[in-house]
Amino acid sequence: NIFSDFDKYEKIPEEWEPPKPKPYHDVGNLRYFLQEPDCYDQFSVIYDGGDRTAIFKNTAREPVLIEERARWTETYIRWSPQGTYLATFHAKGIALWGGEKFEQIMRFSHPGVQLIDFSPCERYMVTFSPILSTQEDQQQIIIWDIRTGMKKRGFHCETQSTWPILKWSNDGSYFGRITPDTLSVYETPSMGLLEKKSLKITGLRDFSWSPSDNIIAYWVPEQQNVPARVTLIQMPSRQELCIKNLFNVADCKMHWQKNGDYLCVKVDRYSKAKKIDEKDQFKYSGLYYNFELFRIREKQIPVDKVEVKENVIAFAWEPVGSRFAFIHGESPRISVSFYQIRPGKVETIKTLERKQANHLFWSPAGQFIVLAGLRNMNGVLEFVDASDVTVMAQTEHFMATDVEWDSTGRYVVSAVSWWGHKVDNGYWIWSFQGRLLQKIQLERFCQLLWRPRPPSLLSIEQMRAIKKNMKKYTEQFEVMDRLRQSNVSTEILEKRSEMMNEYKSFRERATEEWESMKYRRLELRDGVDTDTLEYEENDEEIVEFLLKVEEVVVEE
Amino acid sequence: TATAVRTCGFSFSGRYIMYTTDKTMGRPCEIHIFDLNDIRNGEPTMVIPISSSKITSAVWGPYEEYIITGHENGEICHYDLKSGDKINSCKEHSKQINDLQLSKDMSMLISASKDTTAKLFETATLGHMKTYKTERPVNSASLSPIYDHVVLGGGQEAMDVTTTSTKVGKFDARFYHLVFEEEFGRVKGHFGPINSTAFHPDGKSYSSGGEDGYVRVHYFDPSYFDFRFEF
Repeated sequence: NIFSDFDKYEKIPEEWEPPKPKPYHDVGNLRYFLQEPDCYDQFSVIYDGGDRTAIFKNTAREPVLIEERARWTETYIRWSPQGTYLATFHAKGIALWGGEKFEQIMRFSHPGVQLIDFSPCERYMVTFSPILSTQEDQQQIIIWDIRTGMKKRGFHCETQSTWPILKWSNDGSYFGRITPDTLSVYETPSMGLLEKKSLKITGLRDFSWSPSDNIIAYWVPEQQNVPARVTLIQMPSRQELCIKNLFNVADCKMHWQKNGDYLCVKVDRYSKAKKIDEKDQFKYSGLYYNFELFRIREKQIPVDKVEVKENVIAFAWEPVGSRFAFIHGESPRISVSFYQIRPGKVETIKTLERKQANHLFWSPAGQFIVLAGLRNMNGVLEFVDASDVTVMAQTEHFMATDVEWDSTGRYVVSAVSWWGHKVDNGYWIWSFQGRLLQKIQLERFCQLLWRPRPPSLLSIEQMRAIKKNMKKYTEQFEVMDRLRQSNVSTEILEKRSEMMNEYKSFRERATEEWESMKYRRLELRDGVDTDTLEYEENDEEIVEFLLKVEEVVVEE
Repeated sequence: TATAVRTCGFSFSGRYIMYTTDKTMGRPCEIHIFDLNDIRNGEPTMVIPISSSKITSAVWGPYEEYIITGHENGEICHYDLKSGDKINSCKEHSKQINDLQLSKDMSMLISASKDTTAKLFETATLGHMKTYKTERPVNSASLSPIYDHVVLGGGQEAMDVTTTSTKVGKFDARFYHLVFEEEFGRVKGHFGPINSTAFHPDGKSYSSGGEDGYVRVHYFDPSYFDFRFEF
């Protein structure tokens, strides 16, 4: 206990006053942005080197500004996973903003905060600050309840591992973290250790939650004679659902498919391992790769294996569906392969060869994917339809540093961030087919983030019904579109005629001035009128000259 | 002259010339004015020292009453010929003025600036009328003598950053409508930034000179003369 606690406990008053209820602070409709009548998505933009932050609406001709504030954040911003809150960073902590007018919803004091993470259900937020101060017992990792703003639990962190250190289960009921040889799972809202005890797993390297169920996948490297293995366990029962042993493993990386239907583990295998010095460090050589694909939904979770000859640069699941794509090879021979998981086998759909790509971006709605060669590959973009793996469009956004799909999968933004490249900063908006829609340049533009949407409330039947009746809806949309077009043109025409009238009155004055100053011009140029200087057409001059003399003898 | 000369020009009558010198080697930036009828042993008739931001471009005002100067900080000023005083100024641009040109009747002034815009002013008052926006620094701007058209030439300097897309002939001259500030045409062809543009006095052609060492003379197609903006 701190010394000041003594004072605190001594001074407790005799009379106990019940705490006064705090007046309810109505934050308004935090999800107002979903009710946008034209379904325009919002996105946040940081520009001016970080000084200005603005929120725009993705309207048809050009983005419409909703809100802009100078110095809204000191470093960068984050949206919460369902788009309800906007988090800004400050030296003293984090502020959350939301609602129609982006009012401040809550403030969290955590000096020196550098990283934040939200629970997927948006009930909790985790902040990390590297500053360790003994005052007030500040901890480096703090979990907050977002609606009340109360600090729920804090942790010290011994090692600077990858963020997020605390990983949430999809419904927010559990979160876990790794400490050497231990996996600790906590439950909410009590924030206590599940069953009051952690899982002791020697050599535990990494774990991850399924995005849809309370299943944890973790892997352990090989030790002495025991091979490496990937294990899936169910929470909270801790029942092991599946264990896969792997041999000659150098490293593993886990990728869950967004619906939690599949788990892919990319395994780096070695053909030779040499032990360096006395510690358990190995040097691996002759690396080759394969993917272990776990079919979560099938009984007993069967595992398929896909071998890859070359170095894998990037991997991504199609967010809805059973396809995945990955980039492999070394520059300049880089290829992108597409696979489909079918009951019973995993088959190659197609491989696109000789591509300039180092990142893959699937549309959140599936089927479409952007292959991007960012940063040192000069911003080559290819839009591919994965249903038949055809390239829809091949384009370029020179020196692009980021690509972001909007949450509906209709638009893609490619951006050149000032943080990566000092000139030509701005963002371009493309349709999902690769058609360039808008080019927006902003002074020292830094970051663009689409505002996420919460998962749809429609059931699958309702969505199917809408798709069937699409023709009816498109008629309505066409009428609206045509109306909007004609509005726009009349607006433009009106504006233009206004501008022209203004200009005409200026020109009248200028012409009057010109006329009145004629005398001066004559003066200055010695009486030569140079106002109408035209090319003199060749003056015609008739010159007579003797051609010949002819003597004709008339009669003798 | 002791230092580099930035701009020079004949006055309307041709009787005077002016040139501006650079602010280097301890010498201030100055405007020198010579009366050609009265050259006395090489000394200028008038020297106007400029203590503020140095002059990067200058033209004669109409009727030889004043000199219009564009400065490194984006300011545009009027300097009176007789007294040498600054009689007017405005700061609409945020970076240096690369070029100043007058319209045919000298009632309007167009300025090209490194801040990627060109602006149209009323010559007499320096009142800001229009702005033409681009993504690259504008090196030169000219006004058509017969139409409400403006041509802008520019491009990223080679010494600033060498990562402009290396597509062949990418540097272009852009045409904007004077009143509506909207771009309606581009002419490609230069291999380097365009440093200077000028319309032919009859308005039927224009020329552009660039960093690549080429001067290109363009004659307009009939479609240029038929082009109309709706309003």
